[in-house]
Amino acid sequence: MKILAIDTSCDETSASVCSKDRVLSNVIFSQVELHSKWRGVVPIIAKRAHQERINPVIEMALKRAKVKLEGINVFAVTAGPGLAIALEVGIKKAVELSVKYKKPLVLVDHMEGHIYANFGKNGKGNYFNNLKKVKFPLLCLLVSGGHTEIVLMKDHGKYELIGQTLDDAVGEAFDKIARPLMLGYPGGPIIEEFAKKGRPERFQLPIPMQRRNDFNFSYSGLKTACVVSIEKLKKEFGKEFPSVIPDFCASFQKTISDSLIFKLKKAAKKYKTKQLLLGGGVVSNNYIRSQMRKEMRKLGVEVIAPNKRLCTDNAAMIGLCAYYRAKKNRFVKNLEKVDRLPNLQISQKIPF
Amino acid sequence: MKIIKLSGKNENSIIESVVDVLSKGGLVVYPTETCYGIGADVTNQSAVDKVIKYKKKRQGKALLIAVADKEMAGKYVKINEIAENIYDNYLPGPISVVSKSKGYVAKGVEADDKTIGIRMPKYCLVLKIIKKFGKPVTSTSANSSYKKTPYSVKDILENISKKQKDLIDLIIDAGELPKNKPSTVINTTLNEIQILREGDVNLKSPKKVITKSENETKKLAKTLIQKNRNLGKKPIVFALQGELGTGKTQFAKGLAKTLGIKEAILSPTFILMREYDFKFKSKKLKFFHADTYRIFEEKEFIDLGFKNMVKKPNIVVIEWAEKVSKTLRELKNSFELIWIKFDYQADENARKIEYSNEIL
Repeated sequence: MKILAIDTSCDETSASVCSKDRVLSNVIFSQVELHSKWRGVVPIIAKRAHQERINPVIEMALKRAKVKLEGINVFAVTAGPGLAIALEVGIKKAVELSVKYKKPLVLVDHMEGHIYANFGKNGKGNYFNNLKKVKFPLLCLLVSGGHTEIVLMKDHGKYELIGQTLDDAVGEAFDKIARPLMLGYPGGPIIEEFAKKGRPERFQLPIPMQRRNDFNFSYSGLKTACVVSIEKLKKEFGKEFPSVIPDFCASFQKTISDSLIFKLKKAAKKYKTKQLLLGGGVVSNNYIRSQMRKEMRKLGVEVIAPNKRLCTDNAAMIGLCAYYRAKKNRFVKNLEKVDRLPNLQISQKIPF
Repeated sequence: MKIIKLSGKNENSIIESVVDVLSKGGLVVYPTETCYGIGADVTNQSAVDKVIKYKKKRQGKALLIAVADKEMAGKYVKINEIAENIYDNYLPGPISVVSKSKGYVAKGVEADDKTIGIRMPKYCLVLKIIKKFGKPVTSTSANSSYKKTPYSVKDILENISKKQKDLIDLIIDAGELPKNKPSTVINTTLNEIQILREGDVNLKSPKKVITKSENETKKLAKTLIQKNRNLGKKPIVFALQGELGTGKTQFAKGLAKTLGIKEAILSPTFILMREYDFKFKSKKLKFFHADTYRIFEEKEFIDLGFKNMVKKPNIVVIEWAEKVSKTLRELKNSFELIWIKFDYQADENARKIEYSNEIL
């Protein structure tokens, strides 16, 4: 089964060809068009940009996989969640291809895709992340610029959203804290870089939502607390302020990591899960990865993380998810009715 | 193509040979603290064209450049406060700083949005070369696009064609480099919120309140929407202005709750815009929550479909509205505008909130 998958949920225009769960190609526009060093800085996010990019990205994905459109058995596309006008571009294209080549279409939840990034194999059929055995039920932590969710995965395709952020996402918290620290955009990689040289114990920042009994997160209060203490530090240290930036970054990163681990431990105990699956752009942060491994191991929970290239938004994860859905014949029944689902939640059934 | 092995004793002669090649518009492969880079005079069009040909990139795409110091960078880009911070405190080092170009480099160096990515490699020899040369040189990695990152001269030569080899004039061989990852790119232009000029927004006799908590901010939102005569008749745009953490999203939450929206109002920063349905007197309307934090130009805001949003009596909330004040001013007749400005107060939980209908 050869699958052509498309993702246009937010900034990235991406296309991928998978043969069952083997990733044959995974093309992300910003990598094609610009030097890899510029990744993450592509600014134009509008619909028009996706429209301009989608055909070359699909062509490149097919070329790299050495597959022609006629050889594709299943088309797949992200239906949501995401930016409505961006999703629309991918969906329109996928429907058009499905009609033209008379092959079925699978709709995929973008967040479910982040989970399936863990189930990808290379061309030789080996898992990218050396995955051994999946033990359901398991917990998933999905953390990106726009989402922070804990999902209980009961089986392939069966989910319960047990916790999520009530305001800002973790990736966004990183990006925003970089602003008062005067570190530019995006904040994630640069804060991780500075945190390496800093002492995480130096600043005590409030770990959000510790007293609440649920599995939800909140980062706007932490953001405000950071802004306030950064302003104080600026006054206190004057010209020497930059010397505290590494310690501040390390402390902030630790607070974020602790806040996630706190809820995950509680959830693992309650739902008696033995595995934790990670997904989303924030998972490329090495500190967070290693802290998760260390802390969850204490509860006997194994942490599974995707290959870094599959962490940030990409179409391969959509293709992988589509493979599992296609095995259960979850194809679109009425192509004419297919519409974008910008507020889709992982526990919801995808209509059409 | 000539290869010179770096010995530690031949530094001066290497600097001279490299500067000579660069002055003649040639290409030099040189070591940095991340990987081998390919250098050419950034002001020489034919030299830059050669780099682009070498990299096998499509025309018009950006190339990183390397400078010797902040002063040199300042000649080619506008250095704002964020860039200043990074130059003064963290460079040289494996960080590339993106700033607005002043337009003095050859075509192909700038990105589409007229920015340039600048490096200051933590590699003494390279800094000396650039200093001597007196101009920035390109600092893209010496592989062709999408090929392996080059940590040795062998990595490069094994992965390029004869045509590519012929483009190189000189290689400085410093042996196998430590496998450091490519530099972290940070953009200093995106978060540069324009300081509003006097007259851009005129809060004419604005109303002013001090809220003492998040809940009070939400209550203010409730009052402003409930008592609004235009609700359900004319689109209402809430333009929110204020620094990080001053309560813009809290205000939006207050509005949504008043309108009967049950879903959690999550920050739209990453996704740019979220939309929710609500009903007013059995009319089906939408609540749009937009955030321009990551937007570069006002044009992108229009691309988000703003004009369609205000065709019906929907509610639109825009965070960081000062970035799109021009658009709002141009279209102000098609909706009711409520401009709201949030400020921190001495008390950490209190906020000063000013609001007005006036925009000039």
